[in-house]
Amino acid sequence: MLAAVRSATFLGIEGRPVTVEVHVSTGLPGFQIVGLPDEACRESRDRVRAAVMSSGLPWPSCRMTVNLAPSNQRKGGSGLDLAIAIGLLIANGEIPGDAVTDLGFVGELGLDGSLRAVAGVAPMVGALDDVTAVVPRASFREAMAISPGRVRVAAYLREVIDALNGIEPWPDEPDDQFVDDDPPIPDLADVRGQATARKALEVAAAGGHHLLLVGPPGSGKTMLAQRLPGLLPPLTPSLALEATMVHSAAGVRLPAVGMIRRAPFRAPHHSSSMVSLVGGGTSNLRPGEISLAHAGVLFLDELGEFSPMVLDGLRQPLEEGVIRVARARASATLPARFLLVAATNPCPCGGGPPGSCDCDDGARLRYLRRLSGPLLDRFDLRVGVARPGVDDLLQSGGGECTAVAAARVATARRAAIDLRGMLNSEIPASHLDILAPLQPTARLMLRTELERDRLTGRGYHRIRRVARTLADLDLESDLSAAVGEQHVALALQLRVRLRVSLREQVA
Amino acid sequence: MSTDLPPQAYAVALASFPHMSIHRLGALLRHHPPCEAYSVAVGELRPSGLIQRVLADVDVHAAWRRAGRSSLLTEAWERCTRLGVQVLLHGSADYPLLLIDDPLPPPVVFAKGDLGLLSGRRAGIVGTRNATAAGRDTATTLGRQLADADVHVVSGLARGIDGCAHRGALQTGGAGRPIAVVASGHDVVYPREHHALWASVAEQGLLLSEAPPGTPPEAYRFPMRNRVIAALSEIVVVVESREQGGSLITVNEAIERNVPLMAVPGGVHNRAATGTNQLIRDGAGIVVDVTDVLVALAMDHRRSTGAPTDPRQRPRGADLDVYESCSGEPRTIDGLALVCSMSLVDAAMSVARLEQNGWIQQSDGWFETVGSPLR
Repeated sequence: MLAAVRSATFLGIEGRPVTVEVHVSTGLPGFQIVGLPDEACRESRDRVRAAVMSSGLPWPSCRMTVNLAPSNQRKGGSGLDLAIAIGLLIANGEIPGDAVTDLGFVGELGLDGSLRAVAGVAPMVGALDDVTAVVPRASFREAMAISPGRVRVAAYLREVIDALNGIEPWPDEPDDQFVDDDPPIPDLADVRGQATARKALEVAAAGGHHLLLVGPPGSGKTMLAQRLPGLLPPLTPSLALEATMVHSAAGVRLPAVGMIRRAPFRAPHHSSSMVSLVGGGTSNLRPGEISLAHAGVLFLDELGEFSPMVLDGLRQPLEEGVIRVARARASATLPARFLLVAATNPCPCGGGPPGSCDCDDGARLRYLRRLSGPLLDRFDLRVGVARPGVDDLLQSGGGECTAVAAARVATARRAAIDLRGMLNSEIPASHLDILAPLQPTARLMLRTELERDRLTGRGYHRIRRVARTLADLDLESDLSAAVGEQHVALALQLRVRLRVSLREQVA
Repeated sequence: MSTDLPPQAYAVALASFPHMSIHRLGALLRHHPPCEAYSVAVGELRPSGLIQRVLADVDVHAAWRRAGRSSLLTEAWERCTRLGVQVLLHGSADYPLLLIDDPLPPPVVFAKGDLGLLSGRRAGIVGTRNATAAGRDTATTLGRQLADADVHVVSGLARGIDGCAHRGALQTGGAGRPIAVVASGHDVVYPREHHALWASVAEQGLLLSEAPPGTPPEAYRFPMRNRVIAALSEIVVVVESREQGGSLITVNEAIERNVPLMAVPGGVHNRAATGTNQLIRDGAGIVVDVTDVLVALAMDHRRSTGAPTDPRQRPRGADLDVYESCSGEPRTIDGLALVCSMSLVDAAMSVARLEQNGWIQQSDGWFETVGSPLR
């Protein structure tokens, strides 16, 4: 007897349809899976056997061959379990073959016959868009987000068998639609003082400018970074879909609604490996942290402690917004357009006001050199964060709350897209004079900075982009007017000079 | 042993021996002429009874014997002649008069430059290596103005205040020159970034060391070097110092030698000024500008050429508030906005103007005043 059942696997964040073919014949009893299964996939033999028997059905003693077509692509993971079990049961005559013609199956089997959620349900259901997907109950919202209305759920293999045989109706869909279990985003109102750093967060959110926070331990760098996602607007439907695909493929928990709707915040530890950050590793080419931060914020605390190779790996995605992970057998393109926020101490001892540092110039230089170079160049904003003073901490009532700042950010982003067709951080240097012209006084101010060697050529362009964003955020200034002196002055303050030694400064 | 070497060559070789301290070297050279002292040290001659104690340490004596068998004697001398380093022996005619009667005179001084400077007026300027921008500025200005007034600037060529004082002294056409006392050998520049400064001091001023060429900057040599700075100075000015630090060693050496002490006061929140403020509390003279030093040196201070008018555009209105708030202690832009109760944008505009006109300077996000203070 022969049976064919629809299922899917995924590579990167892309689903790939798979047809599970089962052939049952007489001969020495055995169970073979062919078609390039990986280890987890091969092990499904034992899970399927136990689950079928736990569901009260006999295990046939004949020769069974399962082929996963197309058989030249490597298949990974346990998501094919359900389809293999259904295929076997059809081939053995337990289920009529025509019951599965417009169905696709995704899910892992437990030894007790239960259906378990797997990573990558979203891309896999996406690959089964011409049929109704049968998924584990726990993956319902995730599947519904991709293929609304064409999803069936089950908690046990037995339920699937009964529904296919027409004995029982399909189990009800879970009804927890209105639960919002997104953890609350911390509010900016909790931050005391730090006016410059607050402004920098707003500018980063409004213009898509990468941000480097420089300050001693305990000055609140992490606290500030965590408040950035709240300033970013909710994701557009297409970005939400991409982010959901990435999270699903990486097996990261999705919110109860099944969709990522808010800007994600990822903060990998500085011991993270290259693969964990950029992706790859498994045969599915699991998305890394930079893809999980897609459409959101990637926060690298203690930037200098990351291995230089890992940081170098960030350069291409920062430039292109995607990461191409290539391995000998497969390659995948993963989205990775994130806002980079990094934090570092100014020197090994932690720093503080001038004259309080214990490090000699050599140690400072070595410390900052680890950051310098091409990566340090990508930060439009470089902000000094000082420990809050006693007055700041005791001050009753915090500053402005996130909602007020987020409204300004939304207006500024809209203005940038409407007037210039892109976020300000993306304006090419050659278009700056057209898209972000300067008033004569502002030009003079930048000229002096350049002449006194306090600004490099590259820094000059970055200051202009940041000043444009500051002008967009300034409710009193006309959006179509040129960038004024006051915006340039503030932009200069959002790009502190790092004292590397008496002579050398990173401008 | 070659006989064509001058006595200095033997002293240089002895100074280059391992485990050679100035006490041992001093004892050897006090009791024997250099050539004989060398023979004693390498075990070819019996020591005079008084210094047998110096050779009592078996390990040290063995090391010296080994050194005597190597080619160190000729090499060390060749190195001195190649570098043009003068070797001055305690007791010889060319040895600096200022050091002869010191409680702990250097047995051998290695010098490069104009030894005549030591008979001029001399002020020591010392301070921390981790100086603030304001402190470095004060040191540079003091160095320059003292040199303008024909006072030589004695310091240690270290990072921070020392280097700035020398740099200041080199910036002028006055007769005052830098006199540097360093801890390492003449050909071992430390810190390395002072390479050019080191060379200019040797060329236009005087560079002294107790260590023979090739000696690395070992930590114990720095306190010893500080005593020479104190001994060569008529007055010691501490520009910035922490509560503990190398410059306070110079201070103690100066007290021991009855050299008057002066200090530049600093803000009470400024960690780099805790040492100097303590000195003032203990009775050191206060230095606000170069006139204070010149008065202490009993020189005609009216000759000082401090600029009568500041060429910088005077800050006005809110800028003046901002300038004054950072003159006491370093401030961040947030701090300035808070203290002067102005908006962030106004504060940014203000510091941009002040920075353009050269009143303040920013590093790592902190603003400090620079240049002569606003009057």
